[in-house]
Amino acid sequence: MSAVYLDNAATTPLCAEARAAMEPYLAERFGNASEPHGFGRAARAGLEQARARVGELLGAEPGQVVFTSGGSEADNHAVFGLSGSTPGRLVVSAIEHPAVREPARELERRGFEVVWAPVDGEGTVDAAEFERLVRPGDRLAAAIWANNVTGVVQPVQRLAAAAAERGVPFHTDAVQAAASLPVGLAASGAESVALSAHKLGGPKGVGCLLVRTPSELPPLVWGGGQEHGLRSGTENVPGVVGFAAALEATHAAADARAALRTRLEQALGDHISVVSAGAPRLPGHLLALVPGIRADLLVLALDREGYAVAAGSACAAGDAEPSHVLLAQGMSAQDARSVVRVSLGLQTSAAGVDGFAAAFRSCVERLRTGALQPIAAEG
Amino acid sequence: MYSAATVEHALSLRHAGSAGPTAVVGEAGRSACGDAIRIELALAGGTIAAARHRSFGCPHATAAAELACALAEGRHLLGAARIGGSDLEAVLEPREQNRECVLLAVDALHAALATALDSASFPFVDGRVAVAMSGGVDSAVALLKAVEAGLEPVGVTLRLWIDPGAPDGERACCSPRSVRAARDACHAMGVPHVGLDLRAGFHHEVVEEFVAGFQAGRTPNPCMRCNGSFRFAALAEFADRIGAARIATGHYARVRRRDGVALVARGADPAKDQSYMLAAVPSEILGRCWFPLGEQTKVQTRAQAGRAGLEAAGRAESQDVCFVGGGDHRSFLERHGGAGRPGAIVDLSGRRLGRHAGVHRFTPGQRRGIGVAGPEPLYVLAVEAASGRVGVGPRAELERRTVWIAPGRLLTPSRRVQAKLRYRTDPVWATVRPGVDGFTLDLDEAVSGIAPGQTAVLYDDDTVVGTGTIAS
Repeated sequence: MSAVYLDNAATTPLCAEARAAMEPYLAERFGNASEPHGFGRAARAGLEQARARVGELLGAEPGQVVFTSGGSEADNHAVFGLSGSTPGRLVVSAIEHPAVREPARELERRGFEVVWAPVDGEGTVDAAEFERLVRPGDRLAAAIWANNVTGVVQPVQRLAAAAAERGVPFHTDAVQAAASLPVGLAASGAESVALSAHKLGGPKGVGCLLVRTPSELPPLVWGGGQEHGLRSGTENVPGVVGFAAALEATHAAADARAALRTRLEQALGDHISVVSAGAPRLPGHLLALVPGIRADLLVLALDREGYAVAAGSACAAGDAEPSHVLLAQGMSAQDARSVVRVSLGLQTSAAGVDGFAAAFRSCVERLRTGALQPIAAEG
Repeated sequence: MYSAATVEHALSLRHAGSAGPTAVVGEAGRSACGDAIRIELALAGGTIAAARHRSFGCPHATAAAELACALAEGRHLLGAARIGGSDLEAVLEPREQNRECVLLAVDALHAALATALDSASFPFVDGRVAVAMSGGVDSAVALLKAVEAGLEPVGVTLRLWIDPGAPDGERACCSPRSVRAARDACHAMGVPHVGLDLRAGFHHEVVEEFVAGFQAGRTPNPCMRCNGSFRFAALAEFADRIGAARIATGHYARVRRRDGVALVARGADPAKDQSYMLAAVPSEILGRCWFPLGEQTKVQTRAQAGRAGLEAAGRAESQDVCFVGGGDHRSFLERHGGAGRPGAIVDLSGRRLGRHAGVHRFTPGQRRGIGVAGPEPLYVLAVEAASGRVGVGPRAELERRTVWIAPGRLLTPSRRVQAKLRYRTDPVWATVRPGVDGFTLDLDEAVSGIAPGQTAVLYDDDTVVGTGTIAS
């Protein structure tokens, strides 16, 4: 079992505030928020307080907050819901999380035209090109707020404004950004924003979609009419209460994380090259390229030393698929398999970072004895 | 996800690195996932003193490379040639989708072993026999018979060049998949397997000759050439290196001796007889050959494979002209610079009936694809490469009573023979008249569709007594 957790971009431990806020709703306040009796009213009070608090923190009216089962559901609801049911045109950034990318690809299969907006060599969406690509009449424009692989923060305000000028709804996935940045509906100018609780110290299985004009969005789930009729089903009251509490607690330590990351980058020095070093990045996020070393192997080696980090490219069905995000910014497929993601959290300490840096250096040096510069593979 | 053994081996690095400047090297790579493995073997005589690996591979591939080196180190080369995918899988327990990653390490090890054995010179060992393995059922049963006979077989598969643009190259008996199937068949019987990469030599000796033959207006038989001057020679050299006096293959043929000369004879199964294809194998190599299936039928072979539970029992047959990989040879020739010149289609009187796109599309006796119509069906009579002229005429004009074979040789003095003038045709009675560098055949009955470039094989009873190339 890993002792030091540095994979906070994948998920975070439940913070004390969220846990404390949730406990009553896991116990005596267990009621169904749709029922008029005391148990139900207690649950409803918790739900609506959470909705109001989430709206307040994210620049949205309570009526614009739709609680979901997480970020993927929120993204799916926005992309499918806003794009309509008859074929049309979408402009989507080339570096979306699969929760946006795959719905867009599904729409492509259903006859929609999807234009993939490019990024520059640092992984930032080319805003001028995005402005050129979005046209009046498009069903949807979408760009991630901060990318989950590189941590690069995107110029969402400018992209959202460009879409708004052309009368095109703009969706942004703020799942990764929300743990570190003051994201929100009002601040972005977007039509919809997706968030997830477990990336920012909240529980798993809950998130929200902020939507500027809920009446424009068709329901995702039909049934009892919960969540303004957009997503039926008995509400996950402990989850949303924990979400609101975590959201409230989250931003404070952003600066501390940025300082720790600088310390880490300096400690790793010549062993790595920092991916997207020249772009604005999330404060706790480091994507490190270790040329010639396989990231999936390095992750296992570090795990054995007690440090949990992630490989930049996931291995799916036997093949280590190079991340489309890294390929989009011009990285070679080989290098994309040599990229490790280190993501600091609120719980990360300076001692933890120093210990990690030492372990990282020794693991890389050891693995180098078995490393081979890629040879030409045959067909 | 990774098994505990996979993690342990992937991170062990006990055998990571280089085995020194004189080590032999084997490499394997997969373009699909970018993985590459290099295995180096330091040798002390026929023994692997040290095995080392370096890789740019996923944990499954890296763990497999480490384990393969651990298993190979300290073993004799032929002992290490018994290491296969199932040995590694038994330890690493990969999921189905990661088995390919594990096999990459086996490929790299076997590539290194093949390189090492290329310069081996083992003393001859009684009972050691090199068994040619194609990955199909016939060679698997031939191997089974060698095992059952108490011999010490070593399986060998020749990896030959296949057209990379072929529609179905994987079916060919020399494809990477077939090499793995052959390896598995050997390992299932506890027999070492060696895969020799002969792609370059095969391309030069057989494929280029095939292309040149068509360009010259002939209809060459590349399988004859391959058996006669390439494949069996490579097998014999391999057998010499590993100390095997004998060579076995899964052909349906027999070896007979006349006056001390080894000759090939028909197999017992008339439907499968492959003696024609082996007619050009040199006698000194034939004398070392054993065809375990020569005395039986294909049906018996299948039954034996089924009883023994051989995985190859249901596998498709390998094919003739393997390197075109399931494509037709005309489009192969066009892709590989073997297209002959275009020209006129003329009748017997020299009258021009039409044009054609290239002489390589025609062979004497051909009826389809001529592209001109006549009052009676037209057949290709002659192909003139230099002028590009293709002569056509009625079927009766195809008939020939005399054939000139050159170069050709009689293996034993013969006068009355049965001559087979093309594969999969019935032989005809003929009288042999020896000439300077070949011989003339006077046929007892008229034969049509005799194509220069094809091979004539002469039988006395069931034994091949002469062979040569049809010149005219």
